Amino acid sequence: MEKIPAIKYVTSLLLMLVVGLLGSSLPIPDVYAQALEPAMVVIANPATSEDTIPRASLRAIMGMRLQRWPADAPVKVFVLGDDAPEHATFSKSVLQVFPHQLRMAWDRQVFSGQGQYPEHVSSTQEMLAKVASTPGAIGYVKASEVNQNVRVLKIR
Amino acid sequence: MCVFSRFAKITPCLALLALTALWHVSARAFDLLGGDVQLHGFASMALVNTSDNNFFGRSDDQISNDFSEVGVNASWRLTPIVQLSAELLSRRAGNTDDGGVRLDYGLLDWTALSSEEGRGGLRVGRIKTAYGLYNTTRDVPFTRPSIILPQSIYFERTRNLTVSADGAELYIERYGEAGTLSASFAYGQPQTDTDAAKIALVGLHRPGSLDSKMAPDFQVIYEGSGGRYRLGFTALRLDLKYQPGYGDILQAGRFKLTPLIFSAQYHAENWSLTSEYARRRTSVEDFGPYFYNGTFNGQSYYVQGTYRLAPQWEALLRYDAYYADQNDRDGKKFAAATHLPGFTRFAKDWTVGLRFDVTPQFMLRVETHRVDGTGFLATQDNPRTQDLRRYWDNFMLQASFRF
Repeated sequence: MEKIPAIKYVTSLLLMLVVGLLGSSLPIPDVYAQALEPAMVVIANPATSEDTIPRASLRAIMGMRLQRWPADAPVKVFVLGDDAPEHATFSKSVLQVFPHQLRMAWDRQVFSGQGQYPEHVSSTQEMLAKVASTPGAIGYVKASEVNQNVRVLKIR
Repeated sequence: MCVFSRFAKITPCLALLALTALWHVSARAFDLLGGDVQLHGFASMALVNTSDNNFFGRSDDQISNDFSEVGVNASWRLTPIVQLSAELLSRRAGNTDDGGVRLDYGLLDWTALSSEEGRGGLRVGRIKTAYGLYNTTRDVPFTRPSIILPQSIYFERTRNLTVSADGAELYIERYGEAGTLSASFAYGQPQTDTDAAKIALVGLHRPGSLDSKMAPDFQVIYEGSGGRYRLGFTALRLDLKYQPGYGDILQAGRFKLTPLIFSAQYHAENWSLTSEYARRRTSVEDFGPYFYNGTFNGQSYYVQGTYRLAPQWEALLRYDAYYADQNDRDGKKFAAATHLPGFTRFAKDWTVGLRFDVTPQFMLRVETHRVDGTGFLATQDNPRTQDLRRYWDNFMLQASFRF
């Protein structure tokens, strides 16, 4: 009799796991994302020393956890608004994180005193200008919109 | 007193207005001595109505507006490796919290180690206690899945013991291809300077005082596939001593609480599943013949699903269960020993809720709870045991603003 809640709990956890695995093994949304949406690239201030970055480190930077480039310079993160299509595409296809997860990660850090929000820009033009002029800056644009004032970072 | 409580009641309204004004007038981020300063805050107000029993004020067959939260924080990143942050919080919650402004956290964060693969450092000051998935931002409506967190694990009545502690915390994070591993170990003095924690543990009208030893807190969280999976484990140890007051019927007793929490979360694009399971070993000793001494293994868990119906709408379904003593789930042994109702030793809560983000700054929430048991109710709002009812419903509305 006393075991029943424990069994119920384990059963529901297993259900979660099964549903989760099913959900994550469905490849359709990702394929569509890559086929229909424009390719996004990571851009950085040209003075930064890096040409490539591991995806895990990029997630830590965009999640406002990692605050320094390996060469010790401070990182300055620029993002478009949560509802900008470029932000959603960048989050999903480059970071492979849903935008609502990024928002939650920022909120959790800001409201517990462990971090800050990234700086918001309202357009691609502003993104390019800010990344070009701010030391240690990192951001993203459509691959077709890159100009010579910013450096493209490849994911390794 | 009356003036003060009236003031406390309008505080959230004033704060809401002030925050709205701030939002329109000033930039929330600026430079100070070459470092970035950010100011943020939130304010919320709620209406609570219960079919029986009181939750956050007098809600039994009436509408209580005695639940509000207002917080303002500032962070100053002096250098890439040093950040100072502090938050002031005013919280009203029935008779358990009076809206007095207090320091929620105030800390210096020093990231001593940092590389592409990870970082590590030290936080010193008043630090939010790592406890399950939601505790560090438990009073911020936007970071919660519902108006109130699952009470089986995030008790409102003993919240002060686990909300934050004065001391130090070591943390380390590793960012790998397979996922991110974060661990923290804190050692600090929990807050026992309010009556709320004392009443929850020893009851109303006790002349003595409760003091806590320094408490260790350990948490490890693994995030896989860019955070789609989060698995966590938390262990906390609290050791509290009761100092009897003048004419006290209780003796110098001791509480030892050791909660262990296992957490799991999965995020898909439009839905999330979350579950946490807690074992709480509680030892109560030396209080004398007029108290329920003994060692109990408490058990709590919840399973929660949220679904984003549309970009601004989110629905919630949750089952949350709390047992004060797993060897006495229905409270029969407790009832036989104390002549108090057994249903005060458990609570099983089905919750259905809806969230509407009117704008990114303004959120409305509604939720309804169907509860069997009164295990998580606060004595301050329900002083007469004979008035408690086993089966009760709770209906809540909340409006929240942030900047």
